[in-house]
Amino acid sequence: MEIKTINTTNISTFFNQLVQSGKIVIAPVLKKSGKIFFERVQSYNQIETDYIQTAFSAKSVVFPKVEELFSYSKTTDNFETKQSLSDIPETVVWGLRPCDSAAFNYMTRFFMDENPDIYFATRKERTTLIAISCAKSDEACFCTSVGLDPGKTKGSDIQLTLMGNEYYVEVITEKGLSAIKTSESLFTSSTEKSKEKYLAEPTTKFSIEEIKEKMQNAYDNVAWGQESMGCVGCGACAFACPTCTCFDIQDEGTGENGKRIRCWDACGFSQFTKHASGHNPKPNQTARRRQRLLHKFKYSVENIGMVSCVGCGRCIRICPAHLNIFENILNVTKA
Amino acid sequence: MRVAKITEEAPLIQTYRLEFVDKKEADEFSFKAGQFAEYGIFGEGECTFCIASAPTREGYIECTFRNTGRVTKALADCEENDIITLRGPFGNSFPIEQWYGKNVVFVTGGIALPPLRCVINTLLDQREKFGEISVYYGAKTVNDLTYKAELDDWANRGDMKLFITVDPGGETPEWKRYIGFVPTILEQNPPESDNAIAIIAGPPILIKLGMPILSKSGFPNNRIFTTLENRMKCGVGKCGHCMVGKTYVCKDGPVFTYEEILKMPVEY
Repeated sequence: MEIKTINTTNISTFFNQLVQSGKIVIAPVLKKSGKIFFERVQSYNQIETDYIQTAFSAKSVVFPKVEELFSYSKTTDNFETKQSLSDIPETVVWGLRPCDSAAFNYMTRFFMDENPDIYFATRKERTTLIAISCAKSDEACFCTSVGLDPGKTKGSDIQLTLMGNEYYVEVITEKGLSAIKTSESLFTSSTEKSKEKYLAEPTTKFSIEEIKEKMQNAYDNVAWGQESMGCVGCGACAFACPTCTCFDIQDEGTGENGKRIRCWDACGFSQFTKHASGHNPKPNQTARRRQRLLHKFKYSVENIGMVSCVGCGRCIRICPAHLNIFENILNVTKA
Repeated sequence: MRVAKITEEAPLIQTYRLEFVDKKEADEFSFKAGQFAEYGIFGEGECTFCIASAPTREGYIECTFRNTGRVTKALADCEENDIITLRGPFGNSFPIEQWYGKNVVFVTGGIALPPLRCVINTLLDQREKFGEISVYYGAKTVNDLTYKAELDDWANRGDMKLFITVDPGGETPEWKRYIGFVPTILEQNPPESDNAIAIIAGPPILIKLGMPILSKSGFPNNRIFTTLENRMKCGVGKCGHCMVGKTYVCKDGPVFTYEEILKMPVEY
């Protein structure tokens, strides 16, 4: 890892040089709704710098909401399919939070485990993550409850932390090094410093080790009914979530030609597990909400050794029924 | 895959014999009894069925399905020589080599005979390696039984015990076999569990009712097998649809023992 600093004037030059390098740069942009979204930008002055969290995560860079798997067309006596992985562009994600970087780390483990996913792998390979540590948090933030913190560098290629009038720059990976290469003169070499007093201090809601332990026996807890009562099955939590990876596969086109796509799906949808016979193994919202939370805090731990929640709080901010994931978890792990 | 032959089995149920269009793909393809595949029609999508033919019968594969949704409707509209897609094989398989010398009991209902027909025919193709083979099979009505001709063939072989039943009210005046739900017939005619393996497949309700009956008849839980078939999309443990607790039916299954099933939540 290399440690550097860059002053706040040079940071915009660095950003604009990234754009000029020909890479697609995705950064937080304030929309008319007052919400912040990751969007492709052309210049530093388009981006929002004062925000706690974007409404949606940047996961769509590596796991698009709708992604073409291949196109197909009929030939005289068969079909021909074509993959278009080579068209995937080099992308820089700027300004994601440490929790989001950690989510990329989780997704990499999930998608590359056992049956590696070529689509994810290609996109991830061509993505550089430049995270900015959190100086502020809100009541939905709970990264410190899931083993992360507002300055954690897990998953980031470069991590910036605003310290007074300069950014403290941790260049963590080879990709990070290559991203600053052409802008090297803007940076000053530095020694390791403590970021702590510049970081937000979100409240810790629970001990993750204790929750992991208690989740072992949580399946039959009667509290699931109460905790999922408000859930309308809209799936907004899963779409906003930086670690939700479930998807559907659909065809778009005719029997002659078209494309096969995958698109985000959500375990909260009533059709998600429904059999063709009409039988549904997860027949109600309670079973579906339980699946969501157990997947994050139990099944992921058992399957790949990590919790699949990074405490970003998006599901809490977006839920139309005001369901709160950490309150749900606390309540279903009570004896 | 080319649809080489279509057999009408029962109302809305058909068997397709599929042959590879590409010889190289045909040579590279192999599967084990119990594995499934994704069958698709471009423009409509894919659906999941176990391969219903036996791996011992080479050169083609067969699937049997009910016309019940968008993709199966499109599949059902195919004619012989039409082209459909196949992805697979996926999942684990039945450990048939471990059953040599043992009696094997099959319990199944309705459209769940196809996945077991693959296993049954695999056993019949090496009949001398196994002890007694019994099949408990039921459908709603006589007309709903699949593989009617094959059931007669099996009955005529003389080396299998068949308990073919239809649900009460589903019989015809000529019906001479059993009448009653499969679990009832199984309880009334319990199979000998010594040195025996039981395999149960069915609508989820049959699995849920049948497994405890087999267990009570003396089969140890690790010698009772089933094959689950949850909704699936990807087939490789990513899309999340088929999860039963932490288990992905598509990559960890579809074949499970009762011992394994008991450790899983009842989400099938």
